[in-house]
Amino acid sequence: MNPHTRIVVVVSLVAAVALLSISVGHGAAVKPAKHTVTIEAVAFKPDVVEAKRGDTIVWTNNDPFPHSVTAAGKFDSKEIKPGESWTYKVQQSGEVPYICTLHPTMKATLRVK
Amino acid sequence: MKFSTVVIAGLFLVPAAAASAQGVNDAQIASIVVTANQVDIDAGKLATTQASDPEIKKFGQQMVTDHTGVNKQAVDLVTKLKVTPEDNPTSKSLKSGGDDNLKNLKGLKGAEFDKAYIDHEVAYHQAVLDAVDKTLIPGAQNAELKALLVKVRPAFVAHLEHAKHVQASLKK
Repeated sequence: MNPHTRIVVVVSLVAAVALLSISVGHGAAVKPAKHTVTIEAVAFKPDVVEAKRGDTIVWTNNDPFPHSVTAAGKFDSKEIKPGESWTYKVQQSGEVPYICTLHPTMKATLRVK
Repeated sequence: MKFSTVVIAGLFLVPAAAASAQGVNDAQIASIVVTANQVDIDAGKLATTQASDPEIKKFGQQMVTDHTGVNKQAVDLVTKLKVTPEDNPTSKSLKSGGDDNLKNLKGLKGAEFDKAYIDHEVAYHQAVLDAVDKTLIPGAQNAELKALLVKVRPAFVAHLEHAKHVQASLKK
């Protein structure tokens, strides 16, 4: 193998490994994740969720009275009864503030990359 | 003049009750919690039928729903703990203050009712919150009872803020 050929082989191998790792990394990145938010003591916990499109978010109401998960014009769970959950599949990018319409002091954010 | 006197007398009953609640035991705390919720449920029920502003009706309905939920949780816990709620000067004062408020509200109509109801809700939630902070949480002996009080406290804060917001919107 002459020096030129050796360089070509090494570069090809490096490129192949790089492509493989990008592909693996990319594969992990697109796999949808599930995030959970607990509604308790009149608060969303955590109050910021970072997600990506295709992920699902599950809100579970642990308070003894109803709550809602509402982002005007984006999504609205309506009333989530005590002990019940509501699931939303993230569809659009951006920062989405949301509230509980029944307790407007409850504020949280969904950050979609 | 008579209306103002009744309202002022009604508002003063709650802080007086909170101040007299020093040294309460768990059975008395249970009674105070159940009574405090029930008083607001009764006022809320009246608002759902007698209020004229839709926001007041909605707020009243929410008070019924939320305080019924809190009361169910409180009753479930004290039943589990085998604590029998015990009447005491604070719970009695809350009850009579609530009765006076209902009596006053029943004689009012339209915007007058709406204003009196929401003004009382603001004062009432503030007074109950003070009692929760100064007397009930510090006084609770049983850890689960104390935890329940800590957990429901934010509901009173949220209701107070909500009531203030509705009160401000009526003035516009």
